[in-house]
Amino acid sequence: MIPGFVQTLINFVQYAFFYMIFSLPLTLSYRTTKVINFVHANFITYGAYIAIFLNGIVGNTSMVFASLSAFLIVGSIAVLNNLLVFAPLQKRGSSPAMVMISSMGLWIAYKYILYMLTDIVHFYTYKNFVSYGRITYSDIPSLSIGEVNLSQAFVAGMFTVVVIVLILYLILEKTRMGRAIRAIADNAMLAEVSGIPRSLLINLTWFICGGIVAIGGVVWTSFSGAVTPEVGDSMILQVFTTGFIGGLVSLLRTGAGALLIAFMENIGIALLNAYLGIPVSFRPFLTFVTLITTLILFPPLGAGGGLPYRFLKRRSEKCSDST
Amino acid sequence: MFGFDIVGFMISWLTLFGIYSILAITLNVESGISGITNFGKVVFYGIGAYVSAMLTTYLILMLNGVNVSEIPPYNINGVILLGELGNKNPALNIGLFLLAIILSFIVAGAIGYLLTYPILRVGPEFVGFTLLSSGELTRIFLLHYEPVGASKGLMGIPNPFGWIPDSRIRQILYLMLVLGFLALTFITMKKLVNSPLGRTLKAVRDDETAALCMGKHVPKIKATVLFIGSGFSGIAGALLSYYFTSVNPNMFAPSVTFNAWAMIILGGFGNLVGSLLGAAIITLVDRALTFIIPLLGITVISPDYLRWLIVGLLLVIVLLVNPRGLLPEKPIETPASKEMKRETGEEGG
Repeated sequence: MIPGFVQTLINFVQYAFFYMIFSLPLTLSYRTTKVINFVHANFITYGAYIAIFLNGIVGNTSMVFASLSAFLIVGSIAVLNNLLVFAPLQKRGSSPAMVMISSMGLWIAYKYILYMLTDIVHFYTYKNFVSYGRITYSDIPSLSIGEVNLSQAFVAGMFTVVVIVLILYLILEKTRMGRAIRAIADNAMLAEVSGIPRSLLINLTWFICGGIVAIGGVVWTSFSGAVTPEVGDSMILQVFTTGFIGGLVSLLRTGAGALLIAFMENIGIALLNAYLGIPVSFRPFLTFVTLITTLILFPPLGAGGGLPYRFLKRRSEKCSDST
Repeated sequence: MFGFDIVGFMISWLTLFGIYSILAITLNVESGISGITNFGKVVFYGIGAYVSAMLTTYLILMLNGVNVSEIPPYNINGVILLGELGNKNPALNIGLFLLAIILSFIVAGAIGYLLTYPILRVGPEFVGFTLLSSGELTRIFLLHYEPVGASKGLMGIPNPFGWIPDSRIRQILYLMLVLGFLALTFITMKKLVNSPLGRTLKAVRDDETAALCMGKHVPKIKATVLFIGSGFSGIAGALLSYYFTSVNPNMFAPSVTFNAWAMIILGGFGNLVGSLLGAAIITLVDRALTFIIPLLGITVISPDYLRWLIVGLLLVIVLLVNPRGLLPEKPIETPASKEMKRETGEEGG
């Protein structure tokens, strides 16, 4: 039995919620738009900072209001990215690698725009926004079952995950729009020929994905004791690994990936720490090992466009297959 | 005007230019020519720097009879001892420098070679992300691993010319050394790009399946390129550690990779001279800012943030407006193509 087992278990579930909120949209956006989007990290950070600015400047303590604002603003940013950068590049026929590099450029730019904003706001309010404490929201209850206390962040995270999974399921499986989005994911060209308004739906996907991630960022402000402009960057390894476990195609496997990574990072490291004395600060290495293992054992062939090098020994045979 | 030291400025700019150019050129060969989206340039750079720093500091202490398990180079006594012992013996300094360069080439190259094993299985997007995260992990590892000084890093690394009393001569000699390595890198890479292997690399970049079906061993070719490219990045790292005479984990943040990418995108994807141009422009702006920023006094927005915003936007804008960069990629120079150019040139003239 690991010391503090109950708390470790709660943290595991809490992180699983976060990784689901962050990586389900990543998978959805990649499979629909075919853009590896590093700005995803900024979506998290911007979501968190919209809540922080609303709290620090206006004194807002409503998580529902903060979430709505974050959803709208970050969703619009995501659409704007697509309209101004990704869509023109893809239209011109740039390689996926080039689009990825442009998203890296945007990632850097957005990160430092936020730093500048914190500087400007600091200049006017004399508050420290570069490391902001936990926000206690007034409209989210915290539960206690027996001796176990579930924090606001836990309740909010659970609620958000349930709502998001439900809405995504209903949209993608039950509506015509969802079918159209899935058709674009399968074969964009064919979908367009069949009369599906591709660019409109891609923009819509960006809006939904950006918005959902931003809500996750808002929930993060009720969980983390010190939110910095690096919050999204510090989570990018876990979020992308989770997405890779799902092959950036399957939402179900992405959800399972979120559970796996959260398990490794909380219970796995606690066990290793208790029995082998491995310091907790080496937590990211477990995630990295998972990432490398995923790449070696289950290369995500469907999405990444990689060549199946597993056939190295019988190269000629496979080559004739693909032609 | 402000007591501006133009020679000092030129020396520091050119030294950084040399180090960054090595990174940019190798990155261009890896990414621009062979299509490996290497977002983890900083891994090999950092490994090179740390290998050379560790080798030099530990060996200097050990060769002078210091028990490094009692006085390791990363604690304060070790740093003081390094300062006393570091620059006594010119032959030892230069010997250690050469040894460190060779070792950082081998270690960084080997790690690059090993990293190709998982990433060969997937497409460019996954490669980019995997290497990016390896960069962050390397930094986290260095931050928490005690024998490399953890968050403080290693200090007092003896410069190969540290025994020369006059600092200006020392700096100029070191600059020559850096530019020498830059020339070596440039010539090697140019030969590589214009060789049959280089043409295979471009084929792999343009259509991997086609290259595979033409009988090219794509995984082996990619691994070779990553070995050579990473090895030279290791040398760049080693040069950096001797230049600053100290290393710490925060010098190897992902921003180094972004800088190198901005250089090759600005200079021209797939054009080696373009990388030199890109590196020159970006390091010049960098150096100029470090001279200008103190003159500005206190500003609302830190100029450092502005600098990074410009790098990020530069990447996006160049890709949108002029994706070929300042100097577009040129056809490969083979003996036959040179002959043809000469012939047509004569006929035309």
